[in-house]
Amino acid sequence: MSAESLQLFCTFGIFIFMLAAIGVYCMLATYNLIRALIGVELLLKAVTLLIVAVGYITKHNALTQAMVITFIVIEVVVMTVAIGVVLGIRSHTNSLDARDIRNLKG
Amino acid sequence: MYSWFILFPLLSVIILNLPFRGMMNKIAIWYALALSIAQVYLVLFPVNIVMPFLQLNLNADIISRAVLLCIAIVLFVTILSAKYLIKKEDKLFNFVNLLFICLAGMNGVTLVTDIFSLYVFIEITAVASYTLISFYKDKDAFEAAFKYIMLSAMASAMMLAGIALIMLISGDTGFFAIREALKVSPHSSLIVFAIAIFICALFIKGGLMPFHGWLPDAYSAAPAPVSVLLAGVVTKTLGIYGLIRIMVSVIGFDGPLKQALLFIGALSIVVGALAALGQSDFKRMLAYSSISQVGYIIIGLGTGTALGIFGAVFHLFNHAIFKSSLFLNSAAVESRLGTRDMDKMNGLASKMPVTGITSVISCLSAAGLPPLAGFWSKLIIIVALWVSGYRVYAVVAIMASVITLAYFLSLQRRVFFGRIKEDSMNIKEAGIGLTLPAVILTAIIIGVGIAFPFLRDAIKF
Repeated sequence: MSAESLQLFCTFGIFIFMLAAIGVYCMLATYNLIRALIGVELLLKAVTLLIVAVGYITKHNALTQAMVITFIVIEVVVMTVAIGVVLGIRSHTNSLDARDIRNLKG
Repeated sequence: MYSWFILFPLLSVIILNLPFRGMMNKIAIWYALALSIAQVYLVLFPVNIVMPFLQLNLNADIISRAVLLCIAIVLFVTILSAKYLIKKEDKLFNFVNLLFICLAGMNGVTLVTDIFSLYVFIEITAVASYTLISFYKDKDAFEAAFKYIMLSAMASAMMLAGIALIMLISGDTGFFAIREALKVSPHSSLIVFAIAIFICALFIKGGLMPFHGWLPDAYSAAPAPVSVLLAGVVTKTLGIYGLIRIMVSVIGFDGPLKQALLFIGALSIVVGALAALGQSDFKRMLAYSSISQVGYIIIGLGTGTALGIFGAVFHLFNHAIFKSSLFLNSAAVESRLGTRDMDKMNGLASKMPVTGITSVISCLSAAGLPPLAGFWSKLIIIVALWVSGYRVYAVVAIMASVITLAYFLSLQRRVFFGRIKEDSMNIKEAGIGLTLPAVILTAIIIGVGIAFPFLRDAIKF
Protein backbone atom coordinates (compact mmCIF):
# COMPACT_ATOMS: atom_id res chain seq x y z
CA MET A 1 0.00 0.00 0.00
CA SER A 2 1.51 3.33 -1.01
CA ALA A 3 1.59 6.36 1.29
CA GLU A 4 -1.04 8.17 -0.74
CA SER A 5 -3.53 5.33 -0.65
CA LEU A 6 -2.84 4.81 3.04
CA GLN A 7 -3.78 8.41 3.70
CA LEU A 8 -6.93 7.98 1.63
CA PHE A 9 -7.79 4.85 3.52
CA CYS A 10 -7.31 6.62 6.85
CA THR A 11 -9.70 9.37 5.80
CA PHE A 12 -12.28 6.77 4.83
CA GLY A 13 -11.48 4.80 7.94
CA ILE A 14 -12.25 7.63 10.36
CA PHE A 15 -15.65 8.21 8.80
CA ILE A 16 -16.43 4.47 8.71
CA PHE A 17 -15.39 4.09 12.33
CA MET A 18 -17.63 6.99 13.37
CA LEU A 19 -20.60 5.50 11.53
CA ALA A 20 -20.00 2.11 13.13
CA ALA A 21 -19.66 3.70 16.56
CA ILE A 22 -22.97 5.54 16.11
CA GLY A 23 -24.58 2.23 15.11
CA VAL A 24 -23.25 0.37 18.14
CA TYR A 25 -24.21 3.22 20.46
CA CYS A 26 -27.70 3.22 18.96
CA MET A 27 -28.00 -0.53 19.61
CA LEU A 28 -26.80 -0.26 23.20
CA ALA A 29 -28.54 2.93 24.30
CA THR A 30 -32.12 2.19 23.35
CA TYR A 31 -34.79 -0.15 24.63
CA ASN A 32 -36.89 0.26 21.50
CA LEU A 33 -36.62 -2.79 19.24
CA ILE A 34 -37.04 -0.86 15.98
CA ARG A 35 -34.36 1.64 17.00
CA ALA A 36 -32.03 -1.23 17.82
CA LEU A 37 -32.58 -2.54 14.30
CA ILE A 38 -31.80 0.92 12.91
CA GLY A 39 -28.54 0.75 14.85
CA VAL A 40 -27.77 -2.60 13.21
CA GLU A 41 -28.51 -1.04 9.83
CA LEU A 42 -26.06 1.80 10.51
CA LEU A 43 -23.38 -0.68 11.53
CA LEU A 44 -23.90 -2.74 8.41
CA LYS A 45 -23.85 0.39 6.24
CA ALA A 46 -20.47 1.29 7.74
CA VAL A 47 -19.19 -2.13 6.74
CA THR A 48 -20.58 -1.70 3.22
CA LEU A 49 -18.68 1.58 2.94
CA LEU A 50 -15.53 -0.17 4.14
CA ILE A 51 -15.83 -2.75 1.35
CA VAL A 52 -16.32 0.00 -1.23
CA ALA A 53 -13.30 1.88 0.10
CA VAL A 54 -11.15 -1.23 -0.01
CA GLY A 55 -12.23 -1.88 -3.60
CA TYR A 56 -11.33 1.68 -4.57
CA ILE A 57 -7.89 1.50 -2.98
CA THR A 58 -6.91 -1.97 -4.23
CA LYS A 59 -8.36 -1.27 -7.72
CA HIS A 60 -10.59 -4.35 -7.49
CA ASN A 61 -13.75 -2.37 -8.18
CA ALA A 62 -15.59 -5.11 -10.08
CA LEU A 63 -15.16 -7.70 -7.33
CA THR A 64 -16.15 -5.36 -4.53
CA GLN A 65 -19.17 -4.10 -6.46
CA ALA A 66 -20.38 -7.67 -6.82
CA MET A 67 -19.76 -8.21 -3.09
CA VAL A 68 -21.60 -5.05 -2.09
CA ILE A 69 -24.64 -5.87 -4.20
CA THR A 70 -24.78 -9.40 -2.78
CA PHE A 71 -24.43 -7.96 0.69
CA ILE A 72 -27.24 -5.45 0.19
CA VAL A 73 -29.57 -8.25 -0.90
CA ILE A 74 -28.64 -10.36 2.14
CA GLU A 75 -29.09 -7.39 4.44
CA VAL A 76 -32.58 -6.70 3.10
CA VAL A 77 -33.59 -10.32 3.69
CA VAL A 78 -32.20 -10.32 7.23
CA MET A 79 -33.96 -7.05 8.03
CA THR A 80 -37.25 -8.33 6.64
CA VAL A 81 -37.08 -11.36 8.90
CA ALA A 82 -36.02 -9.18 11.84
CA ILE A 83 -38.94 -6.80 11.36
CA GLY A 84 -41.23 -9.82 11.13
CA VAL A 85 -39.92 -11.01 14.48
CA VAL A 86 -40.40 -7.54 16.00
CA LEU A 87 -44.00 -7.48 14.73
CA GLY A 88 -44.49 -10.90 16.32
CA ILE A 89 -43.16 -9.62 19.64
CA ARG A 90 -45.49 -6.61 19.38
CA SER A 91 -48.49 -8.86 18.78
CA HIS A 92 -47.71 -10.63 22.07
CA THR A 93 -46.69 -7.80 24.37
CA ASN A 94 -48.39 -4.86 22.64
CA SER A 95 -45.26 -2.76 23.02
CA LEU A 96 -41.87 -2.37 21.37
CA ASP A 97 -39.94 -2.19 24.62
CA ALA A 98 -37.10 -4.65 25.08
CA ARG A 99 -37.77 -4.66 28.84
CA ASP A 100 -41.05 -6.47 28.20
CA ILE A 101 -39.32 -9.54 26.80
CA ARG A 102 -37.25 -10.91 29.64
CA ASN A 103 -38.60 -14.40 30.06
CA LEU A 104 -35.43 -16.17 28.99
CA LYS A 105 -32.33 -15.53 30.98
CA GLY A 106 -29.56 -15.95 28.45
CA MET B 1 -20.65 -32.94 -8.73
CA TYR B 2 -20.48 -30.91 -5.52
CA SER B 3 -22.63 -28.16 -7.05
CA TRP B 4 -25.57 -30.54 -6.77
CA PHE B 5 -25.34 -30.47 -3.00
CA ILE B 6 -26.23 -26.77 -3.09
CA LEU B 7 -28.33 -26.48 -6.23
CA PHE B 8 -30.57 -29.45 -5.67
CA PRO B 9 -32.13 -28.27 -2.39
CA LEU B 10 -32.64 -24.80 -3.89
CA LEU B 11 -34.25 -26.24 -7.03
CA SER B 12 -36.40 -28.42 -4.79
CA VAL B 13 -37.82 -25.34 -3.07
CA ILE B 14 -38.80 -23.94 -6.47
CA ILE B 15 -40.26 -27.23 -7.67
CA LEU B 16 -42.28 -27.72 -4.49
CA ASN B 17 -43.76 -24.23 -4.73
CA LEU B 18 -44.74 -24.36 -8.40
CA PRO B 19 -48.40 -25.20 -9.17
CA PHE B 20 -49.86 -28.54 -7.99
CA ARG B 21 -49.44 -27.39 -4.38
CA GLY B 22 -52.13 -29.85 -3.31
CA MET B 23 -50.14 -32.80 -4.56
CA MET B 24 -46.81 -31.39 -3.41
CA ASN B 25 -48.17 -30.93 0.12
CA LYS B 26 -48.44 -34.69 0.44
CA ILE B 27 -45.14 -35.71 -1.11
CA ALA B 28 -42.92 -32.92 0.30
CA ILE B 29 -41.99 -34.82 3.46
CA TRP B 30 -41.12 -38.04 1.60
CA TYR B 31 -39.18 -36.03 -0.91
CA ALA B 32 -37.14 -34.46 1.90
CA LEU B 33 -36.44 -37.87 3.44
CA ALA B 34 -35.31 -39.19 0.07
CA LEU B 35 -33.05 -36.18 -0.41
CA SER B 36 -31.32 -36.68 2.95
CA ILE B 37 -30.79 -40.39 2.25
CA ALA B 38 -29.41 -39.48 -1.17
CA GLN B 39 -26.97 -37.09 0.49
CA VAL B 40 -25.74 -39.81 2.89
CA TYR B 41 -25.24 -42.11 -0.09
CA LEU B 42 -23.45 -39.50 -2.20
CA VAL B 43 -21.08 -38.59 0.62
CA LEU B 44 -20.16 -42.18 1.37
CA PHE B 45 -19.98 -43.33 -2.25
CA PRO B 46 -19.11 -40.32 -4.43
CA VAL B 47 -20.52 -40.50 -7.94
CA ASN B 48 -19.17 -38.14 -10.53
CA ILE B 49 -22.30 -36.53 -11.93
CA VAL B 50 -21.21 -34.10 -14.62
CA MET B 51 -22.61 -30.62 -14.39
CA PRO B 52 -22.97 -29.26 -17.92
CA PHE B 53 -23.40 -25.60 -16.95
CA LEU B 54 -22.78 -23.34 -13.98
CA GLN B 55 -19.43 -24.55 -12.70
CA LEU B 56 -19.20 -23.42 -9.09
CA ASN B 57 -15.85 -23.19 -7.42
CA LEU B 58 -16.29 -25.88 -4.79
CA ASN B 59 -14.08 -28.40 -3.12
CA ALA B 60 -14.46 -31.07 -0.48
CA ASP B 61 -11.81 -32.75 1.62
CA ILE B 62 -12.34 -35.33 4.35
CA ILE B 63 -13.42 -32.68 6.89
CA SER B 64 -16.14 -31.32 4.61
CA ARG B 65 -17.35 -34.81 3.85
CA ALA B 66 -17.61 -35.70 7.52
CA VAL B 67 -19.69 -32.56 8.10
CA LEU B 68 -21.85 -33.26 5.03
CA LEU B 69 -22.54 -36.70 6.47
CA CYS B 70 -23.56 -35.18 9.84
CA ILE B 71 -25.86 -32.73 8.10
CA ALA B 72 -27.59 -35.49 6.16
CA ILE B 73 -28.06 -37.77 9.18
CA VAL B 74 -29.37 -35.01 11.44
CA LEU B 75 -31.64 -33.72 8.67
CA PHE B 76 -33.08 -37.22 8.29
CA VAL B 77 -33.98 -37.51 11.98
CA THR B 78 -35.28 -33.93 12.05
CA ILE B 79 -37.68 -34.68 9.22
CA LEU B 80 -38.87 -37.91 10.87
CA SER B 81 -39.56 -36.13 14.15
CA ALA B 82 -41.20 -33.18 12.34
CA LYS B 83 -43.53 -35.57 10.55
CA TYR B 84 -44.62 -36.87 13.93
CA LEU B 85 -44.73 -33.57 15.85
CA ILE B 86 -46.13 -31.12 13.28
CA LYS B 87 -49.69 -32.20 12.68
CA LYS B 88 -50.92 -29.63 10.16
CA GLU B 89 -50.04 -30.42 6.57
CA ASP B 90 -49.58 -26.77 5.57
CA LYS B 91 -47.20 -26.10 8.46
CA LEU B 92 -45.25 -29.22 7.62
CA PHE B 93 -44.91 -28.08 4.02
CA ASN B 94 -43.52 -24.70 5.13
CA PHE B 95 -41.19 -26.45 7.53
CA VAL B 96 -39.81 -28.67 4.79
CA ASN B 97 -39.23 -25.66 2.52
CA LEU B 98 -37.29 -23.86 5.25
CA LEU B 99 -35.30 -27.03 5.90
CA PHE B 100 -34.32 -27.14 2.23
CA ILE B 101 -33.02 -23.57 2.38
CA CYS B 102 -31.13 -24.42 5.55
CA LEU B 103 -29.71 -27.52 3.89
CA ALA B 104 -28.53 -25.57 0.84
CA GLY B 105 -26.87 -23.04 3.11
CA MET B 106 -25.11 -25.60 5.28
CA ASN B 107 -23.92 -27.65 2.31
CA GLY B 108 -22.64 -24.40 0.83
CA VAL B 109 -20.71 -23.55 3.99
CA THR B 110 -18.99 -26.92 3.94
CA LEU B 111 -18.05 -26.79 0.27
CA VAL B 112 -17.01 -23.21 -0.56
CA THR B 113 -13.47 -22.19 -1.33
CA ASP B 114 -13.67 -18.47 -0.80
CA ILE B 115 -14.25 -16.40 2.24
CA PHE B 116 -17.06 -14.17 0.92
CA SER B 117 -19.13 -17.15 -0.27
CA LEU B 118 -18.60 -18.62 3.17
CA TYR B 119 -20.21 -15.48 4.60
CA VAL B 120 -23.10 -15.63 2.10
CA PHE B 121 -23.95 -19.24 2.90
CA ILE B 122 -23.64 -18.64 6.64
CA GLU B 123 -26.15 -15.84 6.29
CA ILE B 124 -28.55 -17.98 4.19
CA THR B 125 -28.56 -20.68 6.86
CA ALA B 126 -28.93 -18.13 9.65
CA VAL B 127 -31.95 -16.45 8.03
CA ALA B 128 -33.66 -19.80 7.57
CA SER B 129 -32.97 -20.70 11.19
CA TYR B 130 -34.38 -17.40 12.57
CA THR B 131 -37.61 -18.29 10.83
CA LEU B 132 -37.46 -21.88 12.05
CA ILE B 133 -36.92 -20.81 15.68
CA SER B 134 -40.03 -18.60 15.62
CA PHE B 135 -41.98 -21.22 13.69
CA TYR B 136 -44.86 -21.51 16.17
CA LYS B 137 -44.99 -17.75 16.82
CA ASP B 138 -44.96 -18.00 20.61
CA LYS B 139 -43.49 -15.25 22.75
CA ASP B 140 -40.38 -16.99 24.01
CA ALA B 141 -39.48 -18.13 20.51
CA PHE B 142 -39.72 -14.56 19.20
CA GLU B 143 -37.55 -13.34 22.07
CA ALA B 144 -34.92 -15.99 21.36
CA ALA B 145 -35.03 -15.27 17.63
CA PHE B 146 -34.58 -11.55 18.25
CA LYS B 147 -31.55 -12.14 20.46
CA TYR B 148 -30.09 -14.45 17.84
CA ILE B 149 -30.72 -11.87 15.09
CA MET B 150 -29.05 -9.05 16.99
CA LEU B 151 -25.94 -11.06 17.90
CA SER B 152 -25.79 -12.53 14.42
CA ALA B 153 -25.97 -9.07 12.89
CA MET B 154 -23.01 -8.02 15.01
CA ALA B 155 -21.21 -11.16 13.86
CA SER B 156 -22.03 -10.37 10.22
CA ALA B 157 -20.65 -6.87 10.54
CA MET B 158 -17.47 -8.15 12.17
CA MET B 159 -17.04 -10.91 9.63
CA LEU B 160 -17.48 -8.57 6.67
CA ALA B 161 -15.15 -5.98 8.15
CA GLY B 162 -12.61 -8.76 8.56
CA ILE B 163 -13.10 -9.85 4.95
CA ALA B 164 -12.70 -6.26 3.72
CA LEU B 165 -9.48 -5.73 5.69
CA ILE B 166 -8.06 -9.07 4.54
CA MET B 167 -8.89 -8.07 0.95
CA LEU B 168 -6.81 -4.98 1.46
CA ILE B 169 -3.64 -7.09 1.37
CA SER B 170 -4.73 -10.08 -0.69
CA GLY B 171 -6.92 -8.37 -3.30
CA ASP B 172 -8.92 -11.56 -3.64
CA THR B 173 -11.28 -13.59 -1.50
CA GLY B 174 -10.19 -17.13 -2.43
CA PHE B 175 -8.73 -19.26 0.38
CA PHE B 176 -5.57 -19.97 -1.58
CA ALA B 177 -4.92 -16.35 -2.57
CA ILE B 178 -5.38 -15.16 1.01
CA ARG B 179 -3.03 -17.82 2.32
CA GLU B 180 -0.35 -16.77 -0.14
CA ALA B 181 -0.84 -13.11 0.75
CA LEU B 182 -0.67 -13.83 4.48
CA LYS B 183 2.66 -15.60 4.00
CA VAL B 184 4.12 -12.39 2.60
CA SER B 185 2.94 -10.09 5.38
CA PRO B 186 1.80 -12.16 8.35
CA HIS B 187 2.09 -9.80 11.28
CA SER B 188 0.97 -6.35 10.28
CA SER B 189 -1.35 -5.03 12.97
CA LEU B 190 -4.20 -4.51 10.50
CA ILE B 191 -4.16 -8.17 9.52
CA VAL B 192 -4.02 -9.35 13.11
CA PHE B 193 -7.05 -7.14 13.83
CA ALA B 194 -8.89 -8.45 10.75
CA ILE B 195 -8.28 -12.08 11.67
CA ALA B 196 -9.24 -11.42 15.29
CA ILE B 197 -12.63 -9.93 14.44
CA PHE B 198 -13.30 -12.63 11.84
CA ILE B 199 -12.64 -15.36 14.37
CA CYS B 200 -14.70 -13.56 17.05
CA ALA B 201 -17.59 -13.47 14.58
CA LEU B 202 -17.30 -17.24 14.12
CA PHE B 203 -17.23 -17.66 17.92
CA ILE B 204 -20.52 -15.75 18.14
CA LYS B 205 -22.05 -17.94 15.43
CA GLY B 206 -20.83 -21.08 17.19
CA GLY B 207 -22.02 -19.90 20.62
CA LEU B 208 -18.72 -20.20 22.48
CA MET B 209 -18.46 -19.12 26.06
CA PRO B 210 -18.03 -15.35 26.20
CA PHE B 211 -20.44 -15.01 23.26
CA HIS B 212 -23.00 -17.67 24.17
CA GLY B 213 -25.91 -15.45 25.30
CA TRP B 214 -28.29 -16.37 22.53
CA LEU B 215 -27.65 -20.10 22.43
CA PRO B 216 -29.51 -21.57 25.46
CA ASP B 217 -32.51 -19.34 24.71
CA ALA B 218 -32.64 -20.30 21.06
CA TYR B 219 -32.28 -24.01 21.74
CA SER B 220 -34.86 -24.11 24.49
CA ALA B 221 -37.46 -21.82 22.89
CA ALA B 222 -37.34 -23.40 19.43
CA PRO B 223 -39.82 -26.12 18.46
CA ALA B 224 -38.51 -29.62 19.19
CA PRO B 225 -37.47 -30.66 15.63
CA VAL B 226 -35.74 -27.30 15.19
CA SER B 227 -33.77 -27.76 18.41
CA VAL B 228 -32.53 -31.07 17.04
CA LEU B 229 -31.39 -29.38 13.84
CA LEU B 230 -29.90 -26.30 15.55
CA ALA B 231 -27.98 -28.21 18.19
CA GLY B 232 -26.95 -31.01 15.88
CA VAL B 233 -25.71 -29.19 12.84
CA VAL B 234 -26.66 -25.55 12.30
CA THR B 235 -24.45 -23.85 14.88
CA LYS B 236 -21.77 -26.48 14.43
CA THR B 237 -21.60 -25.96 10.68
CA LEU B 238 -21.79 -22.17 10.81
CA GLY B 239 -19.45 -21.46 13.67
CA ILE B 240 -17.31 -24.47 14.35
CA TYR B 241 -16.85 -25.89 10.88
CA GLY B 242 -16.31 -22.35 9.60
CA LEU B 243 -13.59 -21.90 12.21
CA ILE B 244 -11.94 -25.24 11.39
CA ARG B 245 -12.00 -24.44 7.67
CA ILE B 246 -10.56 -20.95 8.14
CA MET B 247 -7.85 -22.20 10.48
CA VAL B 248 -6.86 -25.18 8.35
CA SER B 249 -7.14 -23.72 4.86
CA VAL B 250 -6.47 -20.02 5.30
CA ILE B 251 -4.76 -18.73 8.40
CA GLY B 252 -2.73 -21.67 9.59
CA PHE B 253 -1.73 -22.13 13.22
CA ASP B 254 0.66 -19.88 15.06
CA GLY B 255 1.45 -19.31 18.73
CA PRO B 256 -0.94 -16.60 20.01
CA LEU B 257 -3.85 -17.91 17.96
CA LYS B 258 -3.38 -21.42 19.34
CA GLN B 259 -3.26 -20.05 22.88
CA ALA B 260 -6.46 -18.06 22.27
CA LEU B 261 -8.29 -21.11 20.90
CA LEU B 262 -7.13 -23.30 23.77
CA PHE B 263 -8.16 -20.70 26.34
CA ILE B 264 -11.62 -20.11 24.82
CA GLY B 265 -12.10 -23.87 24.46
CA ALA B 266 -11.16 -24.58 28.07
CA LEU B 267 -13.36 -21.71 29.31
CA SER B 268 -16.33 -23.02 27.33
CA ILE B 269 -15.79 -26.57 28.58
CA VAL B 270 -15.64 -25.62 32.26
CA VAL B 271 -18.21 -22.82 32.43
CA GLY B 272 -20.64 -24.64 30.11
CA ALA B 273 -20.46 -27.78 32.23
CA LEU B 274 -20.87 -25.85 35.51
CA ALA B 275 -23.82 -23.90 34.11
CA ALA B 276 -25.41 -27.14 32.92
CA LEU B 277 -25.23 -28.54 36.45
CA GLY B 278 -27.55 -25.80 37.73
CA GLN B 279 -30.33 -26.11 35.16
CA SER B 280 -33.73 -27.60 35.81
CA ASP B 281 -35.10 -27.23 32.27
CA PHE B 282 -34.32 -30.32 30.18
CA LYS B 283 -33.51 -28.45 26.96
CA ARG B 284 -31.53 -25.67 28.67
CA MET B 285 -29.31 -28.26 30.32
CA LEU B 286 -28.68 -29.85 26.93
CA ALA B 287 -27.93 -26.40 25.47
CA TYR B 288 -25.28 -25.63 28.11
CA SER B 289 -23.88 -29.11 27.65
CA SER B 290 -23.65 -28.28 23.96
CA ILE B 291 -21.49 -25.23 24.75
CA SER B 292 -19.27 -27.43 26.88
CA GLN B 293 -18.88 -30.09 24.19
CA VAL B 294 -18.10 -27.47 21.57
CA GLY B 295 -15.29 -26.41 23.87
CA TYR B 296 -13.74 -29.85 23.38
CA ILE B 297 -13.86 -29.38 19.61
CA ILE B 298 -12.16 -25.99 19.87
CA ILE B 299 -9.52 -27.21 22.30
CA GLY B 300 -8.73 -30.08 19.93
CA LEU B 301 -8.45 -27.64 17.06
CA GLY B 302 -6.23 -25.40 19.18
CA THR B 303 -3.45 -27.99 19.32
CA GLY B 304 -2.90 -27.38 15.61
CA THR B 305 -1.65 -30.92 15.03
CA ALA B 306 -3.19 -33.35 12.56
CA LEU B 307 -4.23 -35.61 15.44
CA GLY B 308 -5.93 -32.74 17.25
CA ILE B 309 -7.84 -31.64 14.18
CA PHE B 310 -8.88 -35.22 13.51
CA GLY B 311 -10.14 -35.44 17.09
CA ALA B 312 -11.99 -32.15 16.71
CA VAL B 313 -13.79 -33.24 13.54
CA PHE B 314 -14.55 -36.65 14.99
CA HIS B 315 -15.98 -35.04 18.13
CA LEU B 316 -18.04 -32.69 15.94
CA PHE B 317 -19.52 -35.76 14.25
CA ASN B 318 -20.13 -37.54 17.56
CA HIS B 319 -21.61 -34.43 19.12
CA ALA B 320 -24.06 -34.05 16.23
CA ILE B 321 -25.21 -37.64 16.76
CA PHE B 322 -25.53 -37.79 20.55
CA LYS B 323 -26.90 -34.29 21.03
CA SER B 324 -29.58 -34.86 18.36
CA SER B 325 -30.50 -38.07 20.12
CA LEU B 326 -30.79 -36.28 23.49
CA PHE B 327 -32.91 -33.49 22.02
CA LEU B 328 -35.19 -36.16 20.50
CA ASN B 329 -35.50 -37.69 23.97
CA SER B 330 -36.40 -34.31 25.42
CA ALA B 331 -39.02 -33.91 22.68
CA ALA B 332 -40.41 -37.35 23.53
CA VAL B 333 -40.67 -36.51 27.23
CA GLU B 334 -42.17 -33.10 26.50
CA SER B 335 -44.74 -34.54 24.09
CA ARG B 336 -45.98 -36.93 26.79
CA LEU B 337 -45.72 -34.79 29.94
CA GLY B 338 -46.28 -31.35 28.44
CA THR B 339 -43.43 -29.86 30.48
CA ARG B 340 -39.65 -29.64 30.32
CA ASP B 341 -39.14 -29.00 34.04
CA MET B 342 -37.04 -31.86 35.34
CA ASP B 343 -38.27 -31.43 38.92
CA LYS B 344 -41.73 -32.51 37.80
CA MET B 345 -40.49 -35.79 36.32
CA ASN B 346 -39.28 -38.97 37.92
CA GLY B 347 -38.95 -42.61 37.05
CA LEU B 348 -40.00 -42.27 33.44
CA ALA B 349 -37.75 -45.15 32.34
CA SER B 350 -40.33 -47.73 33.40
CA LYS B 351 -43.01 -46.10 31.26
CA MET B 352 -40.84 -44.97 28.33
CA PRO B 353 -38.21 -47.72 28.01
CA VAL B 354 -36.93 -46.85 24.52
CA THR B 355 -36.48 -43.17 25.35
CA GLY B 356 -34.81 -44.10 28.63
CA ILE B 357 -32.30 -46.50 27.10
CA THR B 358 -31.40 -44.26 24.14
CA SER B 359 -30.88 -41.28 26.45
CA VAL B 360 -28.63 -43.29 28.80
CA ILE B 361 -26.46 -44.39 25.90
CA SER B 362 -26.29 -40.87 24.43
CA CYS B 363 -25.40 -39.38 27.81
CA LEU B 364 -22.66 -41.92 28.38
CA SER B 365 -21.29 -41.25 24.91
CA ALA B 366 -21.26 -37.52 25.68
CA ALA B 367 -19.50 -38.12 28.99
CA GLY B 368 -16.92 -40.27 27.20
CA LEU B 369 -17.39 -43.80 28.46
CA PRO B 370 -15.84 -46.63 26.46
CA PRO B 371 -16.68 -48.23 24.11
CA LEU B 372 -19.14 -45.57 22.88
CA ALA B 373 -18.19 -43.21 20.08
CA GLY B 374 -17.74 -40.16 22.32
CA PHE B 375 -14.97 -41.91 24.25
CA TRP B 376 -12.72 -42.22 21.22
CA SER B 377 -13.02 -38.61 20.13
CA LYS B 378 -12.38 -37.28 23.65
CA LEU B 379 -9.46 -39.68 24.02
CA ILE B 380 -7.93 -38.47 20.76
CA ILE B 381 -8.34 -34.82 21.77
CA ILE B 382 -6.76 -35.39 25.19
CA VAL B 383 -3.91 -37.43 23.71
CA ALA B 384 -3.31 -34.69 21.13
CA LEU B 385 -3.20 -32.08 23.91
CA TRP B 386 -0.79 -34.17 25.98
CA VAL B 387 1.51 -34.99 23.06
CA SER B 388 1.78 -31.37 21.92
CA GLY B 389 2.71 -30.25 25.43
CA TYR B 390 -0.47 -28.51 26.60
CA ARG B 391 -0.71 -30.70 29.68
CA VAL B 392 -2.66 -28.22 31.81
CA TYR B 393 -5.40 -28.14 29.20
CA ALA B 394 -5.37 -31.94 28.99
CA VAL B 395 -5.98 -32.11 32.73
CA VAL B 396 -8.76 -29.51 32.46
CA ALA B 397 -10.40 -31.57 29.72
CA ILE B 398 -10.27 -34.74 31.82
CA MET B 399 -11.61 -33.00 34.92
CA ALA B 400 -14.45 -31.40 32.95
CA SER B 401 -15.32 -34.84 31.63
CA VAL B 402 -16.16 -35.77 35.23
CA ILE B 403 -18.47 -32.74 35.50
CA THR B 404 -20.08 -33.83 32.23
CA LEU B 405 -20.79 -37.23 33.74
CA ALA B 406 -22.12 -35.52 36.86
CA TYR B 407 -24.72 -33.39 35.12
CA PHE B 408 -25.81 -36.15 32.80
CA LEU B 409 -26.23 -38.52 35.74
CA SER B 410 -28.22 -35.85 37.54
CA LEU B 411 -30.40 -35.55 34.41
CA GLN B 412 -30.89 -39.31 34.30
CA ARG B 413 -31.66 -39.54 38.00
CA ARG B 414 -34.21 -36.74 37.88
CA VAL B 415 -35.96 -37.77 34.66
CA PHE B 416 -35.66 -41.49 34.08
CA PHE B 417 -34.55 -43.30 37.24
CA GLY B 418 -36.28 -43.57 40.58
CA ARG B 419 -39.92 -44.03 41.52
CA ILE B 420 -42.55 -42.82 39.15
CA LYS B 421 -44.82 -40.01 40.35
CA GLU B 422 -48.51 -40.64 40.95
CA ASP B 423 -49.79 -38.22 38.32
CA SER B 424 -47.65 -39.73 35.55
CA MET B 425 -48.71 -43.35 36.09
CA ASN B 426 -50.53 -43.68 32.77
CA ILE B 427 -47.83 -42.18 30.54
CA LYS B 428 -47.13 -44.18 27.40
CA GLU B 429 -44.00 -44.44 25.25
CA ALA B 430 -43.69 -41.64 22.68
CA GLY B 431 -44.69 -42.45 19.13
CA ILE B 432 -42.56 -44.17 16.53
CA GLY B 433 -41.68 -40.79 14.99
CA LEU B 434 -39.56 -39.91 18.03
CA THR B 435 -38.29 -43.32 19.13
CA LEU B 436 -37.18 -44.61 15.73
CA PRO B 437 -34.80 -41.68 15.02
CA ALA B 438 -33.37 -41.97 18.55
CA VAL B 439 -32.81 -45.69 18.03
CA ILE B 440 -31.09 -45.03 14.70
CA LEU B 441 -28.78 -42.45 16.29
CA THR B 442 -28.00 -44.73 19.23
CA ALA B 443 -27.15 -47.51 16.81
CA ILE B 444 -24.73 -45.14 15.09
CA ILE B 445 -23.14 -44.24 18.46
CA ILE B 446 -22.62 -47.89 19.41
CA GLY B 447 -21.61 -48.94 15.89
CA VAL B 448 -19.01 -46.18 15.48
CA GLY B 449 -17.72 -46.78 19.00
CA ILE B 450 -17.16 -50.49 18.49
CA ALA B 451 -15.95 -50.28 14.90
CA PHE B 452 -13.61 -47.32 15.43
CA PRO B 453 -10.47 -49.31 16.38
CA PHE B 454 -10.87 -51.20 13.11
CA LEU B 455 -11.73 -48.12 11.08
CA ARG B 456 -8.77 -46.13 12.41
CA ASP B 457 -6.46 -47.22 9.61
CA ALA B 458 -9.10 -46.87 6.92
CA ILE B 459 -9.63 -43.17 7.62
CA LYS B 460 -6.99 -41.36 5.66
CA PHE B 461 -6.38 -38.03 7.28
